[in-house]
Amino acid sequence: MKQFRFRYVASIVLAAVMVVTGCSGGGTETQSGGGQGGGQQVTLSMHSWRVEDTEGYKAIIKAFEADNPNIKIDFKPFKATEYNTILNTALQSDSGPDILQLRPYAPGITLAEAGHLEPLDNVPGLSTIPKDVLAAATGKDGKVYGVPLSLNSTQFYYNKKIFEQNGLQAPKSWDELIATAKTLKEKGIVPISFGAKEGWLLSLSHGVIAPASYSGTDYLDKLLKGESDLKSAEFLQSVQRMQELIPYFPENYVGLELNDMRTLFATEKAAMFINGSFELEGIKKLNPDLPLDFFPMPTDDGKQVLTTWVDGSYAVNAKSKHKAEALKFMEFMATKKFGELFANQFKRISAVPGVSTDDPLVNKMAELSQSSATPYLMVVNFAEGKPTTKQTLENALQGMYLGKLTPEQVVEEVQKSAATWFPPFKK
Amino acid sequence: MRWLIHLFPLPALVIYTLFVVYPIFSAFLYSLYDWNGIKRGVFVGLQNFITLFTVEPFNEMFWNAFRHNVFYFVIEMIVQNGIAFGLAFLIYRKIRGSGFLKIAYFMPRLLSVIVIGFLWKLILNPNYGALNTILAKIGLGEWARPWLGDPDTALLAIILINCWFGIGFAMLIFLAGLQSIPEDLIEAARLDGATGWRMLWKMILPLCMPAITIMTIFTFIQAFEAFELVYAMQGSMGEPFYSTDTLAVYFYRMAFSSGAGDVTLGLGSALAVVLFFIVGSVSALSLYLMRKREVQH
Repeated sequence: MKQFRFRYVASIVLAAVMVVTGCSGGGTETQSGGGQGGGQQVTLSMHSWRVEDTEGYKAIIKAFEADNPNIKIDFKPFKATEYNTILNTALQSDSGPDILQLRPYAPGITLAEAGHLEPLDNVPGLSTIPKDVLAAATGKDGKVYGVPLSLNSTQFYYNKKIFEQNGLQAPKSWDELIATAKTLKEKGIVPISFGAKEGWLLSLSHGVIAPASYSGTDYLDKLLKGESDLKSAEFLQSVQRMQELIPYFPENYVGLELNDMRTLFATEKAAMFINGSFELEGIKKLNPDLPLDFFPMPTDDGKQVLTTWVDGSYAVNAKSKHKAEALKFMEFMATKKFGELFANQFKRISAVPGVSTDDPLVNKMAELSQSSATPYLMVVNFAEGKPTTKQTLENALQGMYLGKLTPEQVVEEVQKSAATWFPPFKK
Repeated sequence: MRWLIHLFPLPALVIYTLFVVYPIFSAFLYSLYDWNGIKRGVFVGLQNFITLFTVEPFNEMFWNAFRHNVFYFVIEMIVQNGIAFGLAFLIYRKIRGSGFLKIAYFMPRLLSVIVIGFLWKLILNPNYGALNTILAKIGLGEWARPWLGDPDTALLAIILINCWFGIGFAMLIFLAGLQSIPEDLIEAARLDGATGWRMLWKMILPLCMPAITIMTIFTFIQAFEAFELVYAMQGSMGEPFYSTDTLAVYFYRMAFSSGAGDVTLGLGSALAVVLFFIVGSVSALSLYLMRKREVQH
C-alpha cells in the first residue's frame, strides 16, 4: 500500500536515475588510431530524439566519415518524450554528448543560457542560412548556438482527384475556400478532415489559417514590438475563421484525433487535410496511390503563404573534449551536400537553401518556404510561459469547439497568458 | 553466527531508502526551488506552494483536477465497490458456476492498463467504434456521441473503464472478508431469526468492516493518484478542455511535460508534496476512524 502513495514522488527519482543512463550513453572515448603516426582517431557521441531516423543517419554519417577518416560518430537516439530529461541530467553532470540535437526556439535556447552550448558563429556556411531560420537557435546574446536541420511547413493537403471530379481548383482567397468546402459538402464529401481532440493540432491548424487574417508582415512587426496585441481585430478574425469552418468538419469532430483524420483523408473520404510536411510520408504509406497535392493558405490580398518553422538544430556541448572535431561536423551540416543527403533520406525540407529532392511535393514546399513563408507564431514567438501561450491557445480553441468559449474569450485567454511573460506585452 | 540474521533485511532496506525515502526527501527539497529542469534555480522557500494556490491558472487547474479526483473516488466507491460487493456476495452464497464467475470477473485485471486504454479508445471511437455502431443498430443512434472528445462524458467514461478494470480485485478483497466470517456466528444469527436484508445489514456488513476499510482506503489512494488510464487515453494535457485532468496528470505535465519549454520541476514537486499530504493524512485518518467501527469477533 505504501508504494502506491509514493509512486509519484518516486517518479522524480527516476529522472535522477536517468543520470546513470545519460552517463553511460554520453561517454566520449579517445581511441588511438590503427595506423601508427597517423592522426588520432576520435569518436564523437551524438544524441538525438529521432529514433526513427537511425537508418538515415547511418548513410549521412558514412558520407562525413569518408571525408574525415579520423573522426567516427556514434549516433545515439532516445525516445522523444524522454530526450530532454536525459539530456538535461547528462549536461548537468558534465557527461553530455559532444554533439546534441537542440529543440528549436525557447526550449533549446535555455540550454545555451545555462552555459551548456558552444557558440557557432565562426562555422563557415552558417552565413548562407537565412537569419529567421537561424533565429531558432540564436540566444538572447545574439550568438548562434545550433545549425538548423530542417524546416517544417504546414498547409492544406488536398485530393486532386476529388477536386477535379467536382470541377474545383485550389482556392485563391478565404471566400473561395469556403465556397469550395460548401460545394464538397453538398456533394456528400467531408470537405476538411479535422479533429479537435488533440490540442497541438488545433494550434497547428490555426497557424495555417491565421496568416490570411493578417496578410503582410506589418501586423507581425507591430505585434512583436507590442504596438498591437493578440486581442486585435486581425487575431480575433483568425480565431473566428477557425469557428467558421465548423460546418465543413467531419461528424463528431471533437472526438477525432490525428489517426482518424489521417485515415479519413488517405481513404479519400475527405477532400482536404490541414497538416505538416512531416505528415507526407505517413499519408503516402497509408495510401501510395492517393492523388496528393497541397496549397498554401490564400491571403486576402491575393498572395499565398506557407507557415514554416525550424525543427531542431544540432549544437556542440561546451564541455566536449573534442570541440574541434565536433565543429567540423557542424561545418558539414551547413553544406549543400548534407542538405541533399538529409532531404532525400527523410523527405523533409532542408534548412540549407537551394536543396532539391526527388520528391516534387517536398521541392514545392522548399521553394515556397524560401519565397512566401510566414512564421508559425505560436512556436516561433509564443512558446513560453507556464503553461505556454501556445498551450493556452490550444486549450481555448478546444473550449471554443466544445461551445464553452466565444472567439472573443479565446483571444482574451491567449492575451492574458502572453502578458505574463512576453516582454513587449508586460509593460 | 545468529547476528548474521540481522544483515538479511539490509538489501531491501537499501533499495527502500534509495527509491522511496530518498525521493520523498528530495521532492521536499525540490519544491523549495525555482527550477526549470535544466539548472536548479534560486531558493524560493514556500513560494511554489503559494503560487500553486493563489496564482492563475495554477490554482484553477489545481482545484479543477482536485474535483475530478473526488469525483473519481465517489464513482469508484459506488459503482466499482458496490458491484464488486454484490458479486462477492453472490459467489459467497455459492450460486451455480461461482468458480467460473470469480475468474471471469477478475479477467480485465490481467490486461495492462495501456492495452485497456487502447482497447476502449477503439470501442469509443466516434467514427467506427463499437459502442456508437451498436447504439445505431439498436435504434438509439441519437445517443451516439464522441465519448472521449466531449468534456461532459470523457471523465465519466474513463472512470467507468477504471471501475470495470478494478471490480475483480475489489471482489476478491470482499470475498476474502466474507469468507473470514465464522460460520457459527451466521448460524447463531439465523437461529435468532435474522434473514435477508436484516442479516446483511446487522451481521455481514459489520463483520466485513475490515475488508471494507481496506478497500475504501485503496480506492481513495487509487482515485487520488489516477494517472495511467487517463494518460493512456487522453495524454498529459487532460484533454479535452482539461475535463479529464487529475492531480497526478497535472503533476506530470508540470514536472516533465513533453519537450516544450514549460517544465517547472519546483512547482511540480510542490504539487507532489501536497498530493502526498492529502493521500497520506486522509488515509491515516480514515484508517483510524474506520478501525474504531470494526467489530471484533
